[in-house]
Amino acid sequence: MNQAKAFSNVVTSRLGGETITACYQCGTCASSCPVAKITERFNPREVIKLSLLGEKDEVIAGDAIWLCCSCYNCQERCPQKVEIADVIYALRNIALKEGYIPNIYSEFASALSNDGRIVGVSKFVESKRPTLGLPPLQPTGMEALKKILSATGFTKLQKKEEKS
Amino acid sequence: MSSYALFLGCTIPARQPNYELSARKSLAKLGVELVDLANFTCCCPPPVQSIDLETSLAVAAYNICLAEEADLDMVTLCSGCFESLAMTNTMLKNDEELRARINRILTEAGKEFAGNKEVKHFLQVLVDDVGLKRLKQSVTRPLNNIKAAAFYGCHALRPSELLKLDDPERPRILENLIETLGAKSVEYRNKLKCCGGLLRGFSDDLALNLAKEKLANTAKAGADCIATLCPFCFIALDLGQLQIRSKLNETFNMPVLHYSELLSLALGIDPKELALETHKIKADGVVSKILRSR
Amino acid sequence: MNRTKVGVFLSTCGDQLSEILSFDALTQYVKEIPGVTLIVRSSEFWRGNGLQAIVDAIKAGKINRVVVAEGLPKLSEVKIVEAVEEAGLNPYLVEVIDIKDHCAWPHRDTPSEATEKAKAMLLAAIERAKLLEPIEKLEFPVLKSALVIGGGIAGMQAAEDLADLGFEVHLIEKEPFLGGLAARAGRFFPTDDCAICIQSPVSDVKTITHTSRKCVYRSGFSEVPNLNILTSSRVTGVEGGPGNYKVTIEKKPRYVNEQKCVTCDLCTAVCPVEVPDEYNARLKTRKAIYMNIPNVHPPVYVIDENVCKFHDCAKCVEVCPTKAIELNQKSEQITLNVGSVIVATGFQEFDSSIVKEYHYGHYQDVVTNLELARMIDGFGPTGGAIIRPSDRKSARKIVFIQCVGSRDKRYNAYCSSICCMISLKHAMLIKSAYPDTDITLCYIDIRTTGRQHEDYYERAREMGIKFVKGRPTEITRDPDKNRLIVDVEDALLHRFLELDADLVVLAPAMVTSEGTKELAQIGLGSLLDEDGFFREYNAKLRPTETIVRGLYICGGATFPKDAPTASLHAHSAALKAAKFMTTGKMIRDQRTAVVNEEYCGDCRFCPVTCPYGAINLVPTTEEHFVAQVSEIMCEGCGVCVGTCPLGAIELRHSRPNQMLAQMKALMSINGTAKPLVLAICCSECGHTAVDSSGMAMMQYPANVRVMKVPCTGILQVHQFLDAFKAGAQGVMVVGCKSDGCHYEVGSEKAEKKVELTRMLLKEFGIAPERLEMFNMVFIEGDKFAEAAQMMTERLEKLGSLQLAGGL
Repeated sequence: MNQAKAFSNVVTSRLGGETITACYQCGTCASSCPVAKITERFNPREVIKLSLLGEKDEVIAGDAIWLCCSCYNCQERCPQKVEIADVIYALRNIALKEGYIPNIYSEFASALSNDGRIVGVSKFVESKRPTLGLPPLQPTGMEALKKILSATGFTKLQKKEEKS
Repeated sequence: MSSYALFLGCTIPARQPNYELSARKSLAKLGVELVDLANFTCCCPPPVQSIDLETSLAVAAYNICLAEEADLDMVTLCSGCFESLAMTNTMLKNDEELRARINRILTEAGKEFAGNKEVKHFLQVLVDDVGLKRLKQSVTRPLNNIKAAAFYGCHALRPSELLKLDDPERPRILENLIETLGAKSVEYRNKLKCCGGLLRGFSDDLALNLAKEKLANTAKAGADCIATLCPFCFIALDLGQLQIRSKLNETFNMPVLHYSELLSLALGIDPKELALETHKIKADGVVSKILRSR
Repeated sequence: MNRTKVGVFLSTCGDQLSEILSFDALTQYVKEIPGVTLIVRSSEFWRGNGLQAIVDAIKAGKINRVVVAEGLPKLSEVKIVEAVEEAGLNPYLVEVIDIKDHCAWPHRDTPSEATEKAKAMLLAAIERAKLLEPIEKLEFPVLKSALVIGGGIAGMQAAEDLADLGFEVHLIEKEPFLGGLAARAGRFFPTDDCAICIQSPVSDVKTITHTSRKCVYRSGFSEVPNLNILTSSRVTGVEGGPGNYKVTIEKKPRYVNEQKCVTCDLCTAVCPVEVPDEYNARLKTRKAIYMNIPNVHPPVYVIDENVCKFHDCAKCVEVCPTKAIELNQKSEQITLNVGSVIVATGFQEFDSSIVKEYHYGHYQDVVTNLELARMIDGFGPTGGAIIRPSDRKSARKIVFIQCVGSRDKRYNAYCSSICCMISLKHAMLIKSAYPDTDITLCYIDIRTTGRQHEDYYERAREMGIKFVKGRPTEITRDPDKNRLIVDVEDALLHRFLELDADLVVLAPAMVTSEGTKELAQIGLGSLLDEDGFFREYNAKLRPTETIVRGLYICGGATFPKDAPTASLHAHSAALKAAKFMTTGKMIRDQRTAVVNEEYCGDCRFCPVTCPYGAINLVPTTEEHFVAQVSEIMCEGCGVCVGTCPLGAIELRHSRPNQMLAQMKALMSINGTAKPLVLAICCSECGHTAVDSSGMAMMQYPANVRVMKVPCTGILQVHQFLDAFKAGAQGVMVVGCKSDGCHYEVGSEKAEKKVELTRMLLKEFGIAPERLEMFNMVFIEGDKFAEAAQMMTERLEKLGSLQLAGGL
């Protein structure tokens, strides 16, 4: 199986990546993209093109895929109903599995696994709630969360990126 | 009296007591009950979806299960939470295979997604449960001399096929709600464009660039303030202005208020009870303008 | 019932077959079969002495059934059957089998096995022949008159062809004027000549020269005898069937007498009512009484009844010099009886306002190609000037956007095929007239596939028209400057552009014209495909035909197309309609389905399953209906037979008892050491694939015995079980590919029944792999040989099947 088809298959078999092959490179996504308009480092049409050509390494090792701001404008306007923003998630998921992960995302991952929240509520902030007139914070469902994260292999993912 | 399970998410309790306060108080005044359920977790918005989409769907579904068990629909204040939960809710309701796949994971946590509850954004609750007419009648301080630039952000509207909050190309819900308070909704260029919020922390220069464009366009249109409905957009535009001042040398002084804050003020709630000190760009000017109008 | 006397005619094919098969053994065997009264051996039976032998035997009364074992049955059968009929015997009492391609050739390495198989084949043919019944041909009248629905260029051309050939033709058009889209389009690519141009009629219309083309207004088209033109008319109901359609039409009033109007235009001058002119893209207004320009036909004004004040005003009545205006005209209901119908309802532009990001209908200066065509047209609302609708200023910077609503899964996934050329045409016409105009065309792909179309594209580039490969994401408007901005990525340059424009022209998708869905539902059957166009029966082999005889379709109604193709299409539909009507009758043989009304359980499956809409439900007692098959519409596939859960339907000439007799006979003699396999093949692809394997001398074992059915869709689950009971160790069902079934749905239905039977076999403890369906086409003879071999090996591994009890 050639390189292009192999990577195509990897993407289409991931949740979110199913629609990538419908792309006919019309460029609607690019002109809808707020990020592409202000930097050459990211262009959704190009990311998809590179993926379809099988340039796996360039796609997942690069920082382009992390520059998408998930605004979903591209997905909204795509005439081929390619779920572009979701494809970017799929590509990020693949990149992550191979150990390519920006720092801030590993922070999110740790925070989720340890505290059940990606943005933690400090004790100080929590203590101010009664003075502000806010009811106490409910406990986070850590037990259930830990079981889910274990079932999906999320905790394993997290460990992998600690190495790189 | 309608009841909803309030889903706060992470950012609001951590950094935006102003949003939480204004939302709770205004809904209380309008007769909508908010129930605080235990054991919610992060909703798994785009940053977590980027790490693993399957995990995000499973955790979001788990949170919805808690509401199903309490027999309550959910309301979110954060658009990120709205996107994650509403999208998951719709996807699992419509796709049998996906639902089975996620339920297999949820069994580990002793839960099962049934798909019998709705996830709504704060705005939808105002329109559906209170209604524009009753809302108008409840206004005691009409915001007559306020020009507000409605800013939807991205995730309240898109992906529209799954969220179905409003027309993604020509939405009206926020403008209608602003006008119901007596304020004027101001049109400005590239209204629906992203604020860059999710790029903060990874690429601050791009994030600030996008925020700057929004501030410039709203200022050009003569807005007194920007009305937001998402804590991320708020931070990008509010705290963002300080960063833009120091890094890009541009000053805007554009107050950013959540719709719920404008609403609370219009309903006659005392501004001192709204933790307005949270705003980095002081909203004093807007507040006094509102208090002056009678 | 007369005793059947079967004559068996064995062809040696010029003595070739006798090298493999023992004809003595065959003759000896056949002699012993009850009912056989004559056996003849010869070189061939489809011509010469052999054929004469058959004829003589019939005339002498020696035989009343004919079985021929021939070498080229599919072709020879025609000659044999013709001769049999002439000799005085019903031609359907003949059974011809292929002893060469189905026996001698594929089994030449095992001649004794081949001979044993030949015996079984002969027995099957003889037993079937004994059960055959005479079948008559029925004649149905076909009226020599046609209805053409749609007065655009396709409809007019088809109507003219038929009228020229002498048929009575009624051409109806929903608008008050003929011409359709062509009249509005102005010019056609790639020649840029007038759009509203057709061939001059051949008919004896004196003073009109018969040239290759003429604009419709002077072509004499409307003067063709036998051509009745009805404008402002729509079809409201269709009853009856092929050859005799009863069509009801509603003709709306024109309020102006066509015989009296002299087109003087005094009425429009005094009419006080002024409304936006939809025909001219609302770029100007028109009066309540009006006429479209360029005038195609009829040259008579019409009153828009929605806005006219009628007797509260009547100024036009006062001023008309010939008293042509008749405000009291009413709608007419007209009934026509016609033999055939041609649908030529054309297409229209997709409603671009649905693509919200382009703001059509919201920003005035965003127009469509058809609206631009009105501006370019010298006859049009701006006299040929290209203007911005918002301020009527000249448009000097124009951006075209292609594929609006086309190639777009949100709206219409298909490519509308002509829009690239249309936009190029408009761009070049504008650039010729106004060379300073700055024109940019944004595209996903440029499709210029027809003859001389590539040159057209090159000419556009030579003229300085700019091309951007990129589909714009949105059009925004600068309210202060009242200008439009097109936001697009030039994908080739990797550059983002914000194109400033006076005017943005959208190239919308082409969709079926208004009223198509309603038309499809009123008695013409649901003939629409998934995109909403009228579905051709088979675009390659039966263009412009539909699944219903006597009903034809042509032009843009089947799919967007350019003028040359529409013209071809129109001629094709006219020819097909003419062929259908020319003898004034339809002859249909009665190899059709017949319902036993006593058994019919009113389950309503068969009318839905019949691909030809040949089955209707008729009431017997209150609330109880029975199915009834139309002899005209039935194509003899047997899918209804296979569908009926009660076995209440049988197909003449392929009755269950005939099939059972064949099965038993084919399985009665083995002669090999291998397990017997019954291969039930459809008469289209399946049976001919067997032929082709034989023709190519592919080898497979002689335990495989072939039986022919019209379509595999005829098969019922119990018949597979019958095959096993008859002695088959395995059953192959060989049919057309499911998307290529010659009877549309039969192959697919058979697959489902095979699946169901396999489930049953499993329950009975019988290996389900003993039954399998194979799909192939004629040239895949190798596939058949392989399948036969594979099946044999599989059954050998499974071992012998023992069934409890006898048959």
